[in-house]
Amino acid sequence: MPRQYEAVYIFDSALEEPAITEKLSRFHTLIQQPSGDAPKLNHWGKRTLAYPIKKRDTGYYVVANFEATPGQLPEFERAIKLDDGVLRFLVVVNEHDYTPSRDLTDRKLEEDDE
Amino acid sequence: MKRMKKGDPLAEAGIRYVDYKDEKMLQRFLTERGKILPARLSGITARHQRQLKVAIKRARFLALLPYVKRGVS
Repeated sequence: MPRQYEAVYIFDSALEEPAITEKLSRFHTLIQQPSGDAPKLNHWGKRTLAYPIKKRDTGYYVVANFEATPGQLPEFERAIKLDDGVLRFLVVVNEHDYTPSRDLTDRKLEEDDE
Repeated sequence: MKRMKKGDPLAEAGIRYVDYKDEKMLQRFLTERGKILPARLSGITARHQRQLKVAIKRARFLALLPYVKRGVS
């Protein structure tokens, strides 16, 4: 069963945008679904880090929303970890609706989870 | 210390699930040193405080929020 994930990448801000796009597509081939939906990307761009990471004060943030089967994740995370251009990354399950206005039926479901 | 007004500020804002990417919103629940504000001071519900805890820790990991803020005092 595929699940919804959200990944946040912090790239070295010295990297050029094409290099970042290339890395992202390389990572995302590892979690490619047969249904073929491409991950939804949101480039935040360069931001000042709240504290230095790997001696860098700025990072290039990208948020990706995608569907993947849990078995694909270890390989996916390993590939990111080995990439020196990524200062830090976070992959979380994203099965909550962040938007405030929504249907009462799934609101009920979420309360049963607790 | 001055007591804040009662009522969950997150519920009032219509937030169902606390987003770790929204560091501006999370900032309101930190002390000036960057510590997590107790629910008793922020008036937030226990359920939201639990979500907030995770959200703040994720935001810190992603350098959206500092672990400690120095030199403010």
